Amino acid sequence: MPELTLKPLTGRTPTVIAGLTILAVLGFLGVGRLVSRFQEQQKALARHLYQRGFAEQQTGKLDLAVQHFRAALGYDPDNFQYQLSLARSLRDSGRTDEAEAYLISLWERSPQNGAVNLALGRLAVRQARIDKIIQYYHNAIYGVWDSDAERNRLNAWFELVGVLLRLNARAQAQAELIALSVNLPPKPELLMPAADLFAQAQDYDHALGEYRRVLQIDHTNANAAAGAAEMAFKLGRYRTADRYLEIASKANPRDEQISNMLQISKFILQQDPFSRGLSAQDRSVRIRSILQEAGKRLDTCMSSQPQGANQVQQPVGLSQLKAQWTEMTRRLHRLGAAGESGLADEVMDLVLQIEQQTSSCAPGPRDQALLLLAQSRAGVEQ
Amino acid sequence: MSDLVRVTPEPPTPSPQNEVNAPKLRSERRFLAGVPLSEERFFLLLAVFIGIFSGLAVVCFRLAIDWTRIGVLGPAPEPHNLRVLLAPALGGVLVAVLVIHLFPLVRGSGVNQTKAALYIFNGYIPFRTAIGKFITAAIAIGSGHSLGPEDPSLQIGASIASALGRRMDFSREKLRLLAPIGAAAGLAAAFNAPISAVLFVIEEVIGRWSAGILGSVVLAAISSVVVVRGFLGTQPLFRIPPLTVFRPTELLAYVVLGVVGGFGAVIFAKAIGYLRPRLRTLPAPTQYLQPALAGLLIGLIGYFGAPQIMGAGYEYIDQAMHDQFTWKVLAVLAGLKILATTLSFVSGTPGGMFAPALFVGAMLGGAVGGVERHFYPHLTGTTGTYALVGMGVLFAGFLRAPMTSVFMVIELSGNYSIIIPVIIANSFAYFISRSFQPVPIFDLLTRQDGLDLPSLEELREETSLHVEDAMKPPPSPVLNSEETVQDAVAQIQPASSNSFLVRLRPTGWTSISREALQRFSNEGKGEMTLGSLLASQRLPYLHPDYPLEMALRYVNQTPLVPVVSRADLRKLEGVISSEDVLAKYRVVVQ
Repeated sequence: MPELTLKPLTGRTPTVIAGLTILAVLGFLGVGRLVSRFQEQQKALARHLYQRGFAEQQTGKLDLAVQHFRAALGYDPDNFQYQLSLARSLRDSGRTDEAEAYLISLWERSPQNGAVNLALGRLAVRQARIDKIIQYYHNAIYGVWDSDAERNRLNAWFELVGVLLRLNARAQAQAELIALSVNLPPKPELLMPAADLFAQAQDYDHALGEYRRVLQIDHTNANAAAGAAEMAFKLGRYRTADRYLEIASKANPRDEQISNMLQISKFILQQDPFSRGLSAQDRSVRIRSILQEAGKRLDTCMSSQPQGANQVQQPVGLSQLKAQWTEMTRRLHRLGAAGESGLADEVMDLVLQIEQQTSSCAPGPRDQALLLLAQSRAGVEQ
Repeated sequence: MSDLVRVTPEPPTPSPQNEVNAPKLRSERRFLAGVPLSEERFFLLLAVFIGIFSGLAVVCFRLAIDWTRIGVLGPAPEPHNLRVLLAPALGGVLVAVLVIHLFPLVRGSGVNQTKAALYIFNGYIPFRTAIGKFITAAIAIGSGHSLGPEDPSLQIGASIASALGRRMDFSREKLRLLAPIGAAAGLAAAFNAPISAVLFVIEEVIGRWSAGILGSVVLAAISSVVVVRGFLGTQPLFRIPPLTVFRPTELLAYVVLGVVGGFGAVIFAKAIGYLRPRLRTLPAPTQYLQPALAGLLIGLIGYFGAPQIMGAGYEYIDQAMHDQFTWKVLAVLAGLKILATTLSFVSGTPGGMFAPALFVGAMLGGAVGGVERHFYPHLTGTTGTYALVGMGVLFAGFLRAPMTSVFMVIELSGNYSIIIPVIIANSFAYFISRSFQPVPIFDLLTRQDGLDLPSLEELREETSLHVEDAMKPPPSPVLNSEETVQDAVAQIQPASSNSFLVRLRPTGWTSISREALQRFSNEGKGEMTLGSLLASQRLPYLHPDYPLEMALRYVNQTPLVPVVSRADLRKLEGVISSEDVLAKYRVVVQ
């Protein structure tokens, strides 16, 4: 092949320079067109690969998703969305080290970004690092979101509480919930999960408060009524529980749990000997009734169990309890007499013992009510 | 005889007409409205144009590689894909045919060919080489051969510069210099790092420090980088993560990296040095198959799980620096890349070693960092930091460009705090590499091609002789120009010498013989001062730190050359004669 030759440029210097300049301008124009086509193609390829990765991520093919997100980033390396998706896929596929490093680099670029912080928070959940969880979730809650910021922040907050509860960090969860509930707008769809989380955190008082907020907005909300009833019940506020249980029962008449609780609360309200405003005579009647009820329960349970079984299994035998019950029945006529002020409490202690010992004998609502009554009295005494 | 020497065409002989016209053109050109434009200024202007054209060519080259890669390997090369398995082999066949039948000068990286153009072929590189390198390297790298685009870009730039220069009426010296100017422009454009490119060309292409060319090289490099950044953006080839500021106690970790990198570089260089000449001596028909076979082996590596080693691999350097691989994966990738690059390079496939060296360095650095942090979790260096230092380590150890290696890392990272770990790690790597592989890789390749070109490493080792090494103590007496002839005659009576130095006022030196003094005395000029008789006959003088070669220019003009202090030109430090110079050279040679 002959050597390729260029035309000699040995003319006058201005001509040479002008020629070179024209050549450079033409080169710029030509290369410029090529580059713009190239860049368009790169972006299109990146989008295509990202969409493939996204579809794979949705269907749980995380390794493939990682590959395609990485390839997408090869064509559009600074695309934040692609980077975040890659980091999420890495995290979800268990490559926590890689994911963390990647997310940290994203975080260093944009420390206030809510999505990045949430992703880092979720990564910290996998590592069960509570301090990091709280740190990143807080960053996400108070961070910047590209769209729908309010909803994303609240979701992150709810998620944080759920995570803390799962990790048995109940105190931190309660603290977060209290802060969250203050910031919640008056919308039942937001107040209800907050109330449920309070209940899960065993903060029944706040839970009851949240259910009540829901009911203030929507009186007919059966779930809120049931929740409020349950919380009131757990708090021993049986009158309140009874009121909400009535509402819930009307809305869900077939709900066994509600109807069971309703029976219990009604029995407690009818039989509680320590209700305020009760006369001494009425109290005495109720205590006798309770003791009689416990005696029946004891007899039923003793007859249903094989001879001698309870002697071995229970620290205090049923027959011994029967003897104590007989003795208590004998002393009951002195209820209210001088020098016998503690007799009512002794009765309630015995009832508690009987209900506890007979708990294996299919207790009904009345037995549960007796147990709750006795427990609440024991709690007061303590 | 090597292919390089056998097939390189002779440079065209300048025509007699050009030779006649040349002196006028060289001395001064008329620019626009009669404004004179000296050759030097025109040369600088041309350097800018060389930079622009090289930048444009390199942009097109990068697009060509990417388009080839996307077209041949697909947008996302994945393991267990037949394309990945077959593309490098098919690319290898095509490249072999093109190299053997159309572009025989485009084998290898291009650095040595450019250096040969500078020192042997008066700066002549056929323009066909640029076209051939562009096409064959784009096919090779795009189809997955483990080679980089920088060295070909360097050669493309040099070819463009040579082609432009040949159309101007430059002196032979200037024509020679155009090749490295184009080389710097091409490399700077490919690597998007002008300082590193300039240093690399000085270290590896020019092979010696030359202040005369530096301005043009820098101008060309900057012009090309501006062009590339204008088109492809200012972002580097790989993103540098934030680097942690290290604690002084952690320097030991970088020493380990330097040692590991040094041995890695030795293995890499030894493998290429051993296999290349053996493959080239195989029968001619195998030359068609060698790139294909190398491609097939690379394809197998990619097919069975490591497509990262295919091509230049900058995106994977980026991923490694951002902690996207575990240290075990990084270590495996480093080993496989050495294997793949060795296969590609020794098979004669056109392409560079710049990118593979960086890839291996980054992976090795990341792996060493990962292991160290596994055992010593308190170490603060990130994977990105270790990978970046690792790149410098391989550059120092494998390419044996220690200065470029340091500046490259600083230029890429824009972080001067990393300079201490880089210098420490690079020094260890360089020392180990020099100990186990005394001949640098580019010099080794040059020698395998049957050429002997100067290198900066050799220059560093040369014993440098100075005037002070050969000079003798000042003779006695030393006369002063204000003394009379009578006094001077009296002073020289006890001396055995026949020639005496005379110190002139205010500065300067001359000499006078015993006979001349005697004659002046006999002619009745005894009361006249020496200065009035000898002022116009001044001697050249030297300083003690001048190179001994400089003394050779003067010792034949006068039997005794004064060596004077730089601080006081009238103070005589010694004298030097031709015998002294030759005696010193004889001692050194022995």
